[in-house]
Amino acid sequence: MVQEKVIVMENLTKMYGNHVGVKDLNLSVNKGEIMGFLGPNGAGKTTTIRTCLALISKTAGEITIFGLDSHKDAVAIRKKIGYLPGDFGLIPSVKVKSYLKYLLSLRECNSTKKMVTLAERLELDLDRKTHELSKGNKLKVGIVQALMADQELIIMDEPSGLDPLVQQEFYRILHEEKKQGKTIFISSHNLAEVESVCDRVAIIRKGQLVVVEDIRVLREKTGKVLEVEFSDSVNIAELKLEGVSEIHQDNGRFILTVHENLDGVIGAVSSHRILNMTLKTYSLEQLFLKYYAEAENRKRGGK
Amino acid sequence: MFGRITYMELKAGWKGLLIFGILILVVSASMVQLFPVFRDSLTEELEGANKVNLELPNEQGGNITLSWEPLENATSYMVLEDTRVSMVTAKIAYSGEETSITFEKDFEEKRYYAVMAVIDETSDPVLIGIATTEEGADPFKELLENPVYSGFTGGRNISMLEVKGFVTLEFFSWWWMLAGLFIAYLSVSVIANDFENKRMDVMLSTPISRRRYLLEKFGAMSIIALLMILVAIVGLAGGLASIDALSEFSAAAAALSLIGCLPFLMVIAAVGMLTAVLFQKVRTGMGVTFAFVFTEFFLYTFGGFSKSLEWLKTISIFNYWDYSSVIIDDLFKSGDFVILTVLAIVLVVIGVWVFEKKDIPT
Repeated sequence: MVQEKVIVMENLTKMYGNHVGVKDLNLSVNKGEIMGFLGPNGAGKTTTIRTCLALISKTAGEITIFGLDSHKDAVAIRKKIGYLPGDFGLIPSVKVKSYLKYLLSLRECNSTKKMVTLAERLELDLDRKTHELSKGNKLKVGIVQALMADQELIIMDEPSGLDPLVQQEFYRILHEEKKQGKTIFISSHNLAEVESVCDRVAIIRKGQLVVVEDIRVLREKTGKVLEVEFSDSVNIAELKLEGVSEIHQDNGRFILTVHENLDGVIGAVSSHRILNMTLKTYSLEQLFLKYYAEAENRKRGGK
Repeated sequence: MFGRITYMELKAGWKGLLIFGILILVVSASMVQLFPVFRDSLTEELEGANKVNLELPNEQGGNITLSWEPLENATSYMVLEDTRVSMVTAKIAYSGEETSITFEKDFEEKRYYAVMAVIDETSDPVLIGIATTEEGADPFKELLENPVYSGFTGGRNISMLEVKGFVTLEFFSWWWMLAGLFIAYLSVSVIANDFENKRMDVMLSTPISRRRYLLEKFGAMSIIALLMILVAIVGLAGGLASIDALSEFSAAAAALSLIGCLPFLMVIAAVGMLTAVLFQKVRTGMGVTFAFVFTEFFLYTFGGFSKSLEWLKTISIFNYWDYSSVIIDDLFKSGDFVILTVLAIVLVVIGVWVFEKKDIPT
């Protein structure tokens, strides 16, 4: 089945003078998926997103959104987009409610129902004044305004900094939006943060796309990092189990990279007395190293 | 619907606008109250001019006699001589205790003599009066017609003894500064603040085009300018009514003279918005816009200094808001009104063009 594409970027390049913002970026986002856009700070995530929204011009390449040119048809496209900027300010000295109603009116949307529901779910007080809000509450205002008008495409630039419980609720909301057929493009510099919510991730570094991967494939490839500390002595050979690709020993601590058979590994580990145990997602830097190594191998193999 | 942003702009800033409106109302109404006081003190001073008597010789080359009434507490007197009524190039012609001097008329041109009384060493001399060598001339009237004053009145002869002259010189010289600089400040900040406080990203993610955004902000500025003018009209007309001067200076003249200021303020607003989208910074935009307003003012003032500099006036926006024409000649120059309106529109179009070209900073 051919997937309907909502965003298509072709050879997108944005230069700031001599400095590269993004270079030759080819990326598409399918209808009805949640795509994570990952990269360290300064990788070009915000530049890419803001170019899509025509907030900045592009140096070269094409962006098509809903089949329309991102810059020529910007206003028509924006009727279907909800956007949370990475950094934004609110109109001061007004109630959150009137600020959001104002934005709704600019989107020519008359219903405040979704705005109220979202605010309740994210625990945002609509009667507060905008200038009294904490950073987290300000972010909630940003999230609500991006979602409240029931836009088809939601673009969010690093929506992080919520309390863990609210963050979970936020992800549930994104899942529900997706079920309703919305397309979501969400950027982050933290893989663990978006891992649970994304269908696919695109990874960008130094303005260039490193890889686009299905989240399940990515998980399988990278695996999880299991750190265990035992109170009794454990032989490293005992941990060489099925699905474990790497083991490091650091004093009493063992660091295992687990790709599959997680329950088998945990079972084996739990036959000993455990002092401490953490299960972590690969860090972005580790991911880069892995994908770079892969690309290098492929190059060598090709020769 | 068009007007949402305009409405929000007015709603968010209504407190500041209200305070400023009250300020305009109070100042414009009370400014007129000063006229009777000013007139009385000026009349007193003018009477002083008669205290100096100048006798011209009957034939060429005879003697001039200049005499004045003695002042009780004067220790000595000083006579300044100049060919200009403004006395800016005056020389001391006499200094001493006499109250009458005689000297030879060995010149052809018109000369002015200002007689001053020296009270003591520490305080400034007091003007007793001014006399001129031209028969029948009124030196004080000439002083008021001096370019230094007439620069504000489009070169018209007006008297500060009339309410028309007083309002023209006193009211409008602060009004343009108050209203003009306020609208300059406002027009730069309503846009540059959206840049600096990072509100532009959310604003321009809604289906509002950059053109519409700018036009709506300009709409807000025009409404504010109109409101300020209406408040000033009410204040001025009310002030005139309170001193029973409406027969000399009608409410209609007050209204028309101020309405001419609307496109003048809109040009300033358009420049403010243009600098805001160009520099995207409140400070830079404000600096450039203020510099624009003052440059325009100086062009107009310098243009009034001499005939050869008159062309400077034509490139100043102050030239196209001729309030004294309404007040003194009963003539509202609708052509000027159109010129400034067209200029404002052109500047807004340039502003939109610049805004559409530029990246929104993060």
